[in-house]
Amino acid sequence: MYDKNYISITPSEVIEYLYCPRFIYFMSYLKIPQHESNRFKVIMGREVHKTKANINKNYLRKKIGVKDKFIDQKLYSKKYKIHGIVDEVLFLEDGSAASLDYKFAKYKDKTFSTHKYQAVMYSMLIEENFNIRVDKAFIVYVRSKNLLKEFKIDKNQYSKVKEIIDEIIQIIKKGYFPKRTKYKRRCPDCTYRNICIE
Amino acid sequence: MLVWFIYDIVEDKIRKRLSDKAIEQGLYRVQMSVFLGNIDNNLLDELVVYAEEMINPDEDSVYVFPMCQDDFRKVELLGQAFDKAMINDEISSLFL
Repeated sequence: MYDKNYISITPSEVIEYLYCPRFIYFMSYLKIPQHESNRFKVIMGREVHKTKANINKNYLRKKIGVKDKFIDQKLYSKKYKIHGIVDEVLFLEDGSAASLDYKFAKYKDKTFSTHKYQAVMYSMLIEENFNIRVDKAFIVYVRSKNLLKEFKIDKNQYSKVKEIIDEIIQIIKKGYFPKRTKYKRRCPDCTYRNICIE
Repeated sequence: MLVWFIYDIVEDKIRKRLSDKAIEQGLYRVQMSVFLGNIDNNLLDELVVYAEEMINPDEDSVYVFPMCQDDFRKVELLGQAFDKAMINDEISSLFL
């Protein structure tokens, strides 16, 4: 039976939590929409995802040892209480699998921790749903001429993600008002800046 | 970040859209096609992506020049000058 107390978290919510924990309070507890679709970069990013999902459906990145792939794969994990759509699930020649995510962004000499956490969550989803080993993840930076970056999945991050998920669930269930991010320079660009208090 | 946003665009409609976007992102109009202001990196990036989509690269040009505070202090203004403090977000409220 459907349990209304059951909460499942998406990687986007974790990213937003990492940006500022209050995002979750406003968005998922008070249910105030952030109207992110008014943002031009978000619109462009969604267009890119649509295009990428429709062109070269059968193309396999052989250079990185891909032998099969699933596009726009919806996955759900009961164990970790997460769900999400992976842009591409890649099955590699070495018997492992990896997630591939398209980012409408430029590569700035480092992979942001938010992107890494997202990839870790995708790996958790892939491992559980396909019962397969996941050692690495890929990100394609569309605005850097589709630059492909590979990074290792650190299993220690699984427990960190689990901690974050538990905190998010606490905020949503109990409506506790979290402290805002310590990085004040994020505030001017936040969609909730008008209703957030000091 | 303090930036100059300057463009030369042939088509009126596109020019208007870009100027509206520059103001929406918090820049001040210094001259007809010249904007200046203290802008967050992400908002600036959005403006650049927007401009990239709008313009005709064969005819139009858009320039974004970041400027450090040291250089901004050296700016010389003659004639109908703009308010340097306002552009630099040093005035938090304006009473008219």
